[in-house]
Amino acid sequence: MREITADIAVVGGGPAGMSAALRACGLGAKTVLIERDAALGGILNQCVHDGFGLLRFKKQMSGSQYAQQFADAVYESSASVMTETTVLKLIPGECGSKAQSRQGLYTTGEKTGGALIRAGAVILAMGCRERPRQQAGIVGSRPAGVLTAGAVQKYINVEGYLPGRKAVILGSGDIGLIMARRMTLEGIDVAGVYEIMPSPGGLRRNVAQCLDDYDIPLRLSSTVTEVHGKKRVEGVTVADVDAARHPIPGTEVFVPCDLLVLSVGLIPENELSRDAGIEMDPVTGGPVLDNFMMASVPGFFAAGNVSAVFDLVDYVSDTGEAAAEGACRFLGGEALPEYVTVRAGDDVSFVLPGKIRRDLPSSALYMRVKRTIENAVLEILADGKPVYEKKHPIVTPPEMVTARFHESAGSGVPDAGGLTVRILGD
Amino acid sequence: MNVEIRDGIAYIGGGLSDWNAVVNLGHSLCAEPGVNNAAIERPDLAERDLSAYLAMDDIDETDVVVIGGGISGCGIARELRKRECGVLLLEKNSDVAEGTTKSNNGMIHSGYDSKHGSLKARLNVEGNALYDELASDLGFRFNQTGSFVCAYGAEDEATIAGFLENAKKNSVPGVEVLDGNRSREIEPAMAKDIAFTLWTPSAGYVEPYEVALALMENAIQNGARLRLNCEVKGFAFSEGGESISKVLTTHGAICCKHVVNAAGLYADDMAFLARDGFFSIHPRGGVLVIFDKRKPSLLKTYLGVTPKNFTKGGGPMMTPQGTMLWGPSADERADKENLSVDEEGLRFVIEKGVRLLDGMDSGDVITYFAGNRASTFNEDFVICNSKRIDNLTHVAGIQSPGVASSPAIARMASALVMERKGYGPNERFNPVRRHKPPFRELDARETGGENVICRCETVTEREIVEAIGGVIPARTVDAVKRRTRAGMGRCQGGFCGSRVIRILARELKIDPTEVTVKGPGTNLLISRTRG
Repeated sequence: MREITADIAVVGGGPAGMSAALRACGLGAKTVLIERDAALGGILNQCVHDGFGLLRFKKQMSGSQYAQQFADAVYESSASVMTETTVLKLIPGECGSKAQSRQGLYTTGEKTGGALIRAGAVILAMGCRERPRQQAGIVGSRPAGVLTAGAVQKYINVEGYLPGRKAVILGSGDIGLIMARRMTLEGIDVAGVYEIMPSPGGLRRNVAQCLDDYDIPLRLSSTVTEVHGKKRVEGVTVADVDAARHPIPGTEVFVPCDLLVLSVGLIPENELSRDAGIEMDPVTGGPVLDNFMMASVPGFFAAGNVSAVFDLVDYVSDTGEAAAEGACRFLGGEALPEYVTVRAGDDVSFVLPGKIRRDLPSSALYMRVKRTIENAVLEILADGKPVYEKKHPIVTPPEMVTARFHESAGSGVPDAGGLTVRILGD
Repeated sequence: MNVEIRDGIAYIGGGLSDWNAVVNLGHSLCAEPGVNNAAIERPDLAERDLSAYLAMDDIDETDVVVIGGGISGCGIARELRKRECGVLLLEKNSDVAEGTTKSNNGMIHSGYDSKHGSLKARLNVEGNALYDELASDLGFRFNQTGSFVCAYGAEDEATIAGFLENAKKNSVPGVEVLDGNRSREIEPAMAKDIAFTLWTPSAGYVEPYEVALALMENAIQNGARLRLNCEVKGFAFSEGGESISKVLTTHGAICCKHVVNAAGLYADDMAFLARDGFFSIHPRGGVLVIFDKRKPSLLKTYLGVTPKNFTKGGGPMMTPQGTMLWGPSADERADKENLSVDEEGLRFVIEKGVRLLDGMDSGDVITYFAGNRASTFNEDFVICNSKRIDNLTHVAGIQSPGVASSPAIARMASALVMERKGYGPNERFNPVRRHKPPFRELDARETGGENVICRCETVTEREIVEAIGGVIPARTVDAVKRRTRAGMGRCQGGFCGSRVIRILARELKIDPTEVTVKGPGTNLLISRTRG
């Protein structure tokens, strides 16, 4: 078996992995980037719509343009890129007795052969996957024509095929909204978007640009309960739901269609992380991380949607850079300061990272809120005392809230108290 | 409805009312003394216009035609090849194991609960004992882990004692009653409130579609033939009407010397078309739920409960491929093609599993689906030579424990054919199937370089290409799935679906819009985009 040595191995060549690899190279680390697809870019390659890169590049780009910008830079960098290569197994400390524990990655691929990569640090950047139909609790038959929104996007934008003529979309997450517009432009009749929650699951700008502009109805507090059809989908039953999200008897309506598109949530893809014994956070679905993006197993870092599902690719790229900086610091053998725990307080569903190392100059915090709040105040408490405050005109669950948290606020805090992040209404 | 009893069979005719009433009537008629089974009259089949099929050319001939490519038919085809007779299996779907077999939970029952004296009881215990050898010859997984019937307290004592007695009468090996603590030593995942159990160590499980495929592949390696997408529409008879001369199919007429009816849910249709209808199949639906692979280490065996606590269906178990499966439920269905998952069935399966296992919840469900059991009204297997047609053997009413019994069913069916046709032994029969271990079972340190197509189940492009070019070529997305597991994992084909379609189109030299999920009419892609 071929053996490859590197300082840093990055698993996944999407936006998180590419930015991690670039920053790692920039910091002088010998870096190998492993991607299972034929091209770098990950899911961005099928995102032909614009709205990417507003924060980082201050301009509108399509997902594929955003990806290309990074991919070009990666190929110009010193990173060695292995495409069409799949990581089969991660083995922490497999290879070594050196001061830094050496991690093992077994890979396979027709082009690159079976290989063992030995690296001082590993950055996990596997992204996320879509929830399948069954996790939305839909009953009925199993005909052809039930697909996730991402799969539909791939068939249309990459493969060049239409998977139906008349579609119903369940879930108003961003991919569902984007696909409502995309399918309409391709001549597929979109009967409506059904959302079980009382508010849209995607960004407000996407609701306006993808549904309102095309007169596609958005039905809130309603869901698809059953699929009909033996060979191909013939229609779905939709129903209104009550406050507990249970269908209300008597509100069922049959909607004829030959395609049901699901945009019912994303799950960080952490099978490799779990197998490697990395501790997971049940709320984010990603590894428990500190602000170096380091996981519970020393030398393993995570970036992008594998750590928690982000709304904007710019944040994903940022976390890639943070992970690369953390990995280089780890490789430098620098002793890591103690950390304090960051907790999600009132109206916050999670905060990433969940741990902050003390004595750092500055650290980005990413969080999701539980409900829409106008004139909100984001407050960070250290050991119960406010140490940070920022006003937001509005916060909503689909849009991540960020804070650049400076200081030393955590430095004097005993971990028992830790930091608490909460959102206050007016 | 009116009922007429002839030769021990209760024939139900006239206008049928509500389906549940029909099922209840059929069951209660079978409880009458002197009634062996019940059948709903089928004038539609007796009067079917076959002129179009009779006008078709003879396209094939063989000694024995086996109708139906489920686990029974595949096993029978293989068993018949141990004799010097030509065997042709006809399957109306685009793959074998596409009907009831694929939706079975794969339990290899011990035989403790089948009524003593029934065909089920005898063939279950015999079939179970044959699985070890069959698994090693054919190279499919058989995990013989044992199973429990869980009891909560004194109110279950009589039931468990009854099962124990029945198990002993049925000659089930190793059965005993264990207290809760001893049971939890064997199965640590068992809920704490279970007081005692019936332990049946010979129980185990297989992947039923894997067994059916392996049986048929080995039958083909031994000279049997298979026609897929070939539906039987009727029969042509000898002049006196005492034997079948041809099987009339959508492909054309097939001349043969003997017919085995192993048509599963449609075995009653075949019997009536052969002018020998004496049983009916009333489909009993069941919902199965599959959990993410990372949950399973929880459970080692199979957990059932006394019928008092739940009156129907199976409990949680681990499939040999390492996924946890709960179910099935049971509900009577009027339509054989109704494979929908109903909310009640789904809730039943999940609630039952949660009650039996500590620390489980429904959050890790990755898929659920339904299948229909091919039950007759007497609720026993119907395996016999026809009394009216001298070259017809019926293998019908194969429901639980059908998979467990199938090796014994195949032997019995073959023996019945030999009673009518004395074919000599085939000295060249080779019981061992040639096959390769899957990529995911290879040591990561020793694998070569392959492109992984299905990430969740670690299936490579080579494996998919080999399945498409295999002994029974996979022609559909589902056929690829059953042979390789591509798309069976936690993302349910979200990632690999488009890749599998691309490989199928490339290998079969067809357009991606022509690729189907499970046969004609199930195409996933409709047309090209405008660009």
